[in-house]
Amino acid sequence: MTAEQDSNLDINQGPQEYVAPTTLGQAAEAVADGNATILAGGTDLMLQTAVGHINYRTRLVNIRRVAELRGVSKQDDEIRIGAATTITDIRNDELLSRMAPVLVEAANHFAGSQIRNAATIGGNICNASPAGDTLPALLILDAEVELTCSSAGTLAQRRMPLTGFFTGPGQTAMLANELLSAIVFRIPEHRAEATFIKSGPRPALEISIVSAAISAIRDTNALFHVRLAFGAVAPVPLRATATEAFIEGKTLDDDLIEQAVDILMSEINPIDDVRATAWYRRHLAAVYLRRLLVDEY
Amino acid sequence: MSINIDIEFTLNGRRVQANVPADMSALALLRDKLGMTGTKLACGEGECGACTILMDGESVNACLMYAVDCQGRDILTIEGLRTEEVLHDIQQAFVDHGAIQCGFCTPGMILQTKYLLDSHSSMTPDDLKRGLESNVCRCTGYKKIFDAISDVATDKA
Amino acid sequence: MEPIKKTSIIGQRVPKPDGPDKATGRTIYINDMVLPMMLYGKILHAGRPHARIKSIDVSRAEALPGVHVVLTADDIPELRFGVNHDNVPLKGGKVRCVRDEVAAVAAESEEICDQALALIEVDYEDLPGLFDPAEALLEGAPAVHDEKPDNKSLAYQFDHGDLDAAEAESDVILDHVFNVHYVAHCCMGTGCVLADFNPSGKLTIYSQTQYPYNFKMDLAPALGIHPGDIRVIQPPVGGAFGSKLDVYPFEPICALLAKAARRPVKLMFSREEEFVNAPTRQPVRINLRLGAKADGTLTFREADCLLNNGAYTSWGPTTPSVMMRTFTSHYRVPTVKCRFQSAYTNNPYAGSFRGYGNVQATYATAIQMDMLAEKLGMNLLELSLKNAQKSGEVSPQGSRLDDLAFIECLEVAAQKTDFLARTDANAEARQKPGRIKRGIGLASSIHNAGGARIHKSDGCGTILKLDDFARCTVITGASEIGQGFDAVLCQIISEELGIPVADITMKNDDSAIGPWDVGVHASRTTFIAGNSAQRAARAAREQILDAASKRVNATVDNLDLRQGWVVQVHNDEPLIKLDKLLRDMHFQKEPELVMTTDYYEPSSEPEDRHHVGDISAAYSHAVHVAEVEVDTETGEVKVTKVTSVQDVGRVINELGLEAQIEGGIVMGLGYALSEELRIVEGQVTNPSFRDYKVPTAPEIPELDLHFIETDCKTGPMGAKGIAELPTIVIAPAVANAVYNAIGIRFMDPPLTPEKVARALWDQQSDKAAMS
Repeated sequence: MTAEQDSNLDINQGPQEYVAPTTLGQAAEAVADGNATILAGGTDLMLQTAVGHINYRTRLVNIRRVAELRGVSKQDDEIRIGAATTITDIRNDELLSRMAPVLVEAANHFAGSQIRNAATIGGNICNASPAGDTLPALLILDAEVELTCSSAGTLAQRRMPLTGFFTGPGQTAMLANELLSAIVFRIPEHRAEATFIKSGPRPALEISIVSAAISAIRDTNALFHVRLAFGAVAPVPLRATATEAFIEGKTLDDDLIEQAVDILMSEINPIDDVRATAWYRRHLAAVYLRRLLVDEY
Repeated sequence: MSINIDIEFTLNGRRVQANVPADMSALALLRDKLGMTGTKLACGEGECGACTILMDGESVNACLMYAVDCQGRDILTIEGLRTEEVLHDIQQAFVDHGAIQCGFCTPGMILQTKYLLDSHSSMTPDDLKRGLESNVCRCTGYKKIFDAISDVATDKA
Repeated sequence: MEPIKKTSIIGQRVPKPDGPDKATGRTIYINDMVLPMMLYGKILHAGRPHARIKSIDVSRAEALPGVHVVLTADDIPELRFGVNHDNVPLKGGKVRCVRDEVAAVAAESEEICDQALALIEVDYEDLPGLFDPAEALLEGAPAVHDEKPDNKSLAYQFDHGDLDAAEAESDVILDHVFNVHYVAHCCMGTGCVLADFNPSGKLTIYSQTQYPYNFKMDLAPALGIHPGDIRVIQPPVGGAFGSKLDVYPFEPICALLAKAARRPVKLMFSREEEFVNAPTRQPVRINLRLGAKADGTLTFREADCLLNNGAYTSWGPTTPSVMMRTFTSHYRVPTVKCRFQSAYTNNPYAGSFRGYGNVQATYATAIQMDMLAEKLGMNLLELSLKNAQKSGEVSPQGSRLDDLAFIECLEVAAQKTDFLARTDANAEARQKPGRIKRGIGLASSIHNAGGARIHKSDGCGTILKLDDFARCTVITGASEIGQGFDAVLCQIISEELGIPVADITMKNDDSAIGPWDVGVHASRTTFIAGNSAQRAARAAREQILDAASKRVNATVDNLDLRQGWVVQVHNDEPLIKLDKLLRDMHFQKEPELVMTTDYYEPSSEPEDRHHVGDISAAYSHAVHVAEVEVDTETGEVKVTKVTSVQDVGRVINELGLEAQIEGGIVMGLGYALSEELRIVEGQVTNPSFRDYKVPTAPEIPELDLHFIETDCKTGPMGAKGIAELPTIVIAPAVANAVYNAIGIRFMDPPLTPEKVARALWDQQSDKAAMS
């Protein structure tokens, strides 16, 4: 979709076409001309269109009935989650609870039942909020997005790391003729422990002020293969790679932890908004880092 | 103006047909097109749960669901909960335990309760509180709602 | 026949009669209403705090198909209304706050209304905004209203005793400033009104109003019609909590649209509109001084309060009349001086809200008592008991404090929670390591419990009839907004007439039918409407027993009404079935129908011009003990338990009583910890449940309620009004508990995690700086 086509949209115009495909192929074809708005859970779409943050493109494509886009499966050493898998399905998934409980934990702190029953992981990813609840967990799992498009009737897929997928608040590298079809990640090493926490006091019905996730192998007093991600402290969900590198393999003591906090502070760039000040976000990010490092939360 | 789509679905056990704009919410379909005002509009943003309905047995905020996606689905609203002369157990428990004051949150609260009881064989008090986390009540302070639900859950067990 | 023994329904747990309808979705709330030929109305709000309107062009909106009427201030005469006569339905010339209603549209759908609003072109010249009431009072500040160049709105003062002498005899004097904040009622049903004129110009208005009869008088000037030509119908509402005790522009606007369109019009707020446009609780800056002797005897209170009036004056700026009652009567205080000034600003404006000034004032007085205890080296219980009034005392404002249980409430609350021992233990634990700190805090207050005489009458009328089947209809002037008076009413009637609750119907939603009542506010309905209903029922009972005694061989004092029968008292023998008796009374040569009326005026006095007067027929106290856990890293405050001890006079409906107290406490917890309408430069920056945090289910603490029955001589069955105290007392109890946990006072609620974390951080930095 070009800039000119965008500017011709009447802000009050709803979708002029509606399709509800039942296969991935049909879904990919439905978005192939770049003129489609995708309806997954609808929990963000309904809101964003109502206030005019998003204008409907010509065609509304309801992907809720594409069975191939739902479900959690293990394929070789990978876990594959269909993009239209609901947050409730993730929260209840037996495979994930064994293989990647951090994602289940994130799903458990997502909004409330009614939203979880409709919202999808693909929608949470494509909405690309810096505070998206599943995103720090996916980042520490080194997840990749699988993008599908239909080119001359055949399906083409590409993958990219989630770390590169977010290009700004609410923006992703997905093209207008593409569909997010799955999120995939290598099954974490079973020795790795991963945790997700987010700001309270409500357990879930909160847009996070700060959220955090860590994955690491804990050996005596040091952490290895550290993956650290934070939500709501930067324009995009953040892998704190400098902090990870600093901590990697080092014996954790109070001094080291405080140095790690300093490095984290240099990596994050929180803002003041109606929910919290940048000061409090920094404060909370530091608190969470300390808790995650010593495994007490 | 959005395109209009014909849909057919099951509403409280009966087949219903409707013609809806593609961007209409399920809540607007129920309240405005079908005149079923039991499901309430209180925020329109999925933050309060007053519009909770069951869609294929799962609780959802009708204000965020697309009417077109009701196609072929099984929808339950508060009007359809009672299938006999007497009140449904959950409704009776809410009445008996004083869990209803102004009552505006009640339909959504009752349907969310049905979802919780149907999807959990047992719930701790904390599970129950989590289960109601996105159903806002301004009158009761929730305590009598917890009492009512615990009563029904005990009877079921 | 089996004997029928005397039983009582008073004190029982009686479900609300409208429960089944509400549980099945059958209740048609005002928000659900549709009238034939109805149009929809919507308002164009200014969205900016202060501006001159240079021009308005509605032509494109008028031309939109489906639009019937577009109104601006030019289309109507200037019709002033409101407490200070400073408000008009539609604003022309100047807008003074973001709410200002500059145009209104009636159209065939809400969607067309929205499109029409978008087509109205308003040319504004923005003017500098005034948001701080202190700045508004400074010399040279721009005038919000031209006719009030000094920006002064309402002012109150009260003096009792010799302040200089009281200061001289004080061994300690505390002096603190509290800033209490804007919060929203968050009724689950948003603002909604329907208006319908008949061809003779008489208006029927379907309103969420809480004061239907005086509402007519307040609405009439806004429409330029006679109050007698207004019929007010009150459909079921999704909450009120004080938000509907005044006329707000959206209601006369709806009526004006209906008049112009010659069709019924329904106007309803979206949730965002509700957050921006519904009246708030009154914010106040309270400068409070408290004097005491070394032995803890209070010597004086001096309050100096500045109120942010906002752009127009509703009931918020009258809250000083109640705040005064707190400053003079919360504990025994021999000398009191109060000054209150409200100043116009370009902010949204406040109305009444459950607790009505007492919430604000008690936040200050109850925290300050805790501070005084610490200063004197006494515990709060000891200090409280020393200064707690006993029955028979009279307050500096002339409140006759009878049938009190303040001391008992304090003792029970402290005993049930092991308050003293735990206060000490927590204070000691402050210095120990550990990121979670526990705290326990106590607060109390006093509130009117027998109405509040703010109008010439504080009365309520009842019209009662029994039909030929012994079914009773009670027409009361009292309003039911979900608080549960319907159940109480049925119990009172059932008790007097011996008929089941299920056979009693309350009718109270039509001003054309109902007798006058001043409104549902001030915790007055059970007390005043209950008394009125009881008297009407007793008159009916007298008539029935008189008729019965003529038909059986028994005197009236040997007869009783029980379970639908006239019963002989000395042997419980049923003599005549009530419905048979009623039919017999009716179908006679000289027929008698049972129809009785009553108007009950409580034994209270208006305030004189010095604000002295026994304004309520009863008073009561509540004491709360709050237990908290504070996460000293994140600042999160978790309330684990609230113990409430309240003087309720007499329990009529135990279920409803608990429900109101539980709900009131939770509302107050929101005030204390998470709710805040963030108004920045006159804009409401968090107009949604996403960012305005009301308490949700996982946040609810354990609630332990205790009732003290003082058997109030003036109340129906001995009952007192109860529903505001729970919201009034809880917030300072939480603040005192947080102090016990972490040693920091929060003079400015809410105690959000960020605020607490920041204060802890500052405390640590201060410690570090000093070491």
